[in-house]
Amino acid sequence: MPDFQADDNKLTLKVVFYGPALSGKTTNLMQLHSLLNPERKGELMVLETRDDRTLFFDMLPIGLRGNSGLDLRLKLYTVPGQVQHDSTRKAVLSRADGVVFVADSQPSQQDNNATAFGNLEENLEKVGLDIDTLPMVVQFNKRDIPGVVDEQELQHRWASTPWAPLVMASALQGRGVIESFRTLLDRLYTVINEEFTLEQQHGISRHIFIDGLSASHEAEHAKL
Amino acid sequence: MRSFEDDPTLQELLSADQLQRLNRALSGLCKEPVTLSEHKAGDSVPVEFNLERVGWLSGGGSRDEQLAAAELVSFLMMFVAKYRLAANLHHDTTEASYAELQRQNEALKASETRFRELSGKLQQTVDEQVDVIRQTQQELFESARLRSVGQLAAGVAHEINNPIGFISSNLRVARDYVEDLKEIAPDTPANRDLLQDFQELLTESIDGTSRIASIVADLKTFSSIDQADYSLCNVNDLLQSAVHLVQTEYSHSLQIIERLNELPQVSGHPSRLSQTFFNLLDNAAQALRDEAADDASGRILVQSQVQGDTVRIVIQDNGCGIPEASRARIFDAFFTTRPVGSGTGLGLTVARDTVRAHNGNVTIDSHPRTGTRVTLTLPVKGS
Ligand SMILES: Nc1nc2c(ncn2[C@@H]2O[C@H](COP(=O)(O)OP(=O)(O)O)[C@@H](O)[C@H]2O)c(=O)[nH]1
Ligand SMILES: [Mg+2]
Repeated sequence: MPDFQADDNKLTLKVVFYGPALSGKTTNLMQLHSLLNPERKGELMVLETRDDRTLFFDMLPIGLRGNSGLDLRLKLYTVPGQVQHDSTRKAVLSRADGVVFVADSQPSQQDNNATAFGNLEENLEKVGLDIDTLPMVVQFNKRDIPGVVDEQELQHRWASTPWAPLVMASALQGRGVIESFRTLLDRLYTVINEEFTLEQQHGISRHIFIDGLSASHEAEHAKL
Repeated sequence: MRSFEDDPTLQELLSADQLQRLNRALSGLCKEPVTLSEHKAGDSVPVEFNLERVGWLSGGGSRDEQLAAAELVSFLMMFVAKYRLAANLHHDTTEASYAELQRQNEALKASETRFRELSGKLQQTVDEQVDVIRQTQQELFESARLRSVGQLAAGVAHEINNPIGFISSNLRVARDYVEDLKEIAPDTPANRDLLQDFQELLTESIDGTSRIASIVADLKTFSSIDQADYSLCNVNDLLQSAVHLVQTEYSHSLQIIERLNELPQVSGHPSRLSQTFFNLLDNAAQALRDEAADDASGRILVQSQVQGDTVRIVIQDNGCGIPEASRARIFDAFFTTRPVGSGTGLGLTVARDTVRAHNGNVTIDSHPRTGTRVTLTLPVKGS
């Protein structure tokens, strides 16, 4: 649920990186933090990790200003993937406006992917969100590891879902991370624009929304 | 309600004391004192943290000092905010878990209530079953007792039957001899008195033996309860012959009213049914004799009729009735309200056991000084 505060002309959106433990959610966020160069970017808050594992969540705020003065914020969260942190996952997931599901491409992790996806469906329902209308991207991470499940097979498997095509990524190497994020922004814009008429009222077109929030250092370098 | 992810204000991040201390520490680093506050003042610069302006910093020796101090504050804020975020999230999830726990607790309580109701019902069923078992056990015990009493009675009856037979016939012969002696002996007043007395003694003894014989007969019936010899009986015929027998016994002095309706035949044990009817009529006659100073008002009503698929037999008298204190025991074998010697007390027990053996029922309705009504029902179809 977008949080619009009319007094401050401030719209806060929430995107949650969901997935099984150790699939690379935190790595995704860290890469976004270092790769992205949006109009506004806050600190990456990596909360209390133990043995490299997220205990609470990670959070990265980024932002954009519309020509109406709209203060558009996007807060990117990760959830802890371990089974026992379900209540934290639920709390973070509540009022989410979009989800990036980070799956692990290794064959041994397919069951965990399925379990985590089931858990996502369940928790979305519990927090009153509809998985069929919620903007969502499914990313298969760790493509750099040899012997991962074949992309064609994965794409085929997911072809009939609303989340096709899947985005292949190697968060560790920074590949596919921005692509996943941009895909999500694209889907998110459709829903948010419908409700807040971003383009008409605030001069934020789809193009400005996506590029403004996902501008990357690399892209700028490329431009030069 | 604020959620854990709402951007925190300066007040939420730092207490007043902490803010003062921070101001002191920052001022110590700068040429001029600096002040961090939530409100903009004169030359202040904004302090931002995570895209959010958390406060304004004023004072300082120069713009650079202000900016440096502001940067230091936002760096510190990151750690404070991190802790806040984690703590708030923890608080939120704990509350959610608690709410969930309470919901589960409510559900548990509801199911516990259901369980308790169920267990109450179960207890009631168990109690009922225990009652049934207890009653069955009592009946079993009673019937076992009756059976053993019956066996004893059968043995005693068998043993007594022979001697009582010859005692009785000897006594009759002896009475004849006394007649003979009257002829032979000299007719003196002393002899006459003696022989008269002798004869009366023998007559009393003969009465006694016939009473014993009748007890023995009762005992034989009583002990033959488990014998099976069933045939189709005409209950009215059996009732009529029992009436005749009892009239004979009472020298036709009884006023017995018969209201016998047409009945289907009943599968049963004719001699035992006869014995039962006889016993009940005999009881009724005794009750009249006990009550009646004036014999003429004593009446016995014998009634039979079909009722559904049963035959209903009523034997009713307007005699002395059974005192309430005795009513609970009226079916006890050998229990009798009459003076010892006037009856065996087996009548009602035999009646009940016989009727039960026929899958029927006996009820007794009695009021002292008003009379007694015994109602028997026998199923037409037998068992
Ligand atoms: N080889 C490889 N390792 C990765 C990739 N992404 C994450 N990892 C590693 O997987 C582990 C878990 O990553 P992390 O981001 O903490 O997972 P999270 O539990 O989903 O937050 C770390 O050791 C990462 O370095 C990837 O694309 N390729
Ligand atoms: Mg993590």
